[in-house]
Amino acid sequence: MADHRDDFIIAIRYALLKKGAKQKFSLFFLIVLSISIITLDKFELSFMSPVRAVLNDFVYRVSVVASQPEKIKKNVEKKITNHYNVMKENKFLIDEIEYLKRQKFNNAYLSSENQLLKTALEFSENKNFEQNFSIVAKVILDQESPYLKSVLINKGTNHGIEKGMTVFSKDYLMGTVIETNYLSSRVLLLTDLNSRLPIVIEDSTINGILGGLGNKSNLNIAYLPDNYELEANKIIFTSGKDGFIVPGIPVAETYLNKKNKILIRLLADPNQALVVNVTNGQINN
Amino acid sequence: MYYFKIIKDKFLISLPIILLYFFSFYHFQIPEVGKINFFSFNFQMILIYFYVLKFPENLGYGNIFVAGIINDTVLGISLGTTSLSYLSLSLVTSYVRNATLRSRMTSEWFAFIPALFFSNLVFLIIINNFSNVSFYYLELLQNTFFTFLFFPIFYYIFSQYQKIIFKKKDNAQF
Repeated sequence: MADHRDDFIIAIRYALLKKGAKQKFSLFFLIVLSISIITLDKFELSFMSPVRAVLNDFVYRVSVVASQPEKIKKNVEKKITNHYNVMKENKFLIDEIEYLKRQKFNNAYLSSENQLLKTALEFSENKNFEQNFSIVAKVILDQESPYLKSVLINKGTNHGIEKGMTVFSKDYLMGTVIETNYLSSRVLLLTDLNSRLPIVIEDSTINGILGGLGNKSNLNIAYLPDNYELEANKIIFTSGKDGFIVPGIPVAETYLNKKNKILIRLLADPNQALVVNVTNGQINN
Repeated sequence: MYYFKIIKDKFLISLPIILLYFFSFYHFQIPEVGKINFFSFNFQMILIYFYVLKFPENLGYGNIFVAGIINDTVLGISLGTTSLSYLSLSLVTSYVRNATLRSRMTSEWFAFIPALFFSNLVFLIIINNFSNVSFYYLELLQNTFFTFLFFPIFYYIFSQYQKIIFKKKDNAQF
């Protein structure tokens, strides 16, 4: 028993202390060094931070270099996959173009047929309104004012803008031009208290006047029939009853708020509008 | 030509050290197969165990220590943790080498179990007591298991490498 224990101790001592032919350090020395480093790192001595920072920088840079083959491999794989995807997409797009070409001819035929029928009914759209003016303008000032909810745009009479023109933000009606200058114009937002817009509610023949309450999430419809209750998720369009703005432009929608109350919110977001589209989408009398 | 041969010989002798450093700097990721990553194993441990056991003159303890420090830096754990873990592995391996009279692959393979256990034990003790790093014990167990399982494959590869490259020199050892 004692012999076995002696053998074990001798073998361990030999393993710990013998350096071997080409070993510069003994295991014992390196283990002690490791424990010292762990202890120094644990207690975060002042000189350890710069040492660790330098070591980190060096090791991270070498790690980046060492991981390049893997990155190259991934890039090559990605490029091959992309190439095959592009080929696949190209084939799909060629088919789609062919289909659209056929549709285009079909649409052209239907359009001309529609025009002929409208002429026959004396109900040509071109007769009632025109919308051949459109200009892109940048919102230059969007000041929060307690009095007037409006924005200033960088286009004015010099660019052909006139009072009453409609202003769109991302295809939704945002307001109308109320003041024109030579190089700028003021747009009255639909959220303003002074804004009045004749509207019609989706899936109904109910007309009303949409007015602002200063908040884009809470608009007001006046002159609704008695005992009429709004339904949620209905789009509100311009009715064109004022003979000023084209009918059928989507303006707002009804929604259910957190308190289960039906409110009206504007489809356009005036606060986020940076670039707007000014058109003369009004009825030409 | 002569210098080229010297450089080539130096490179071939130093290849285990180069591999040890390379895999300390670069932790390769092999995609998982299903839920278990079968290929998650510790190559450095296999390399250290094999070379300390069979060819200690080709892999110095100093290099093992430095590789451990690099590994700690890359993983972001306390400096010296992996070094101590690798050196513990080397200690057990060195003991196995001294205690073994006749070397056989199977006996060396099974001797890898206590070596791995001791090494991981040291690693876990340091991690739990000297750092705030949380560890996935199941993943570590899985990694250790596959390290043990893949040992014979690398044993064969390293043996063949040593045989082919240093045929004349190492004939005596095989």
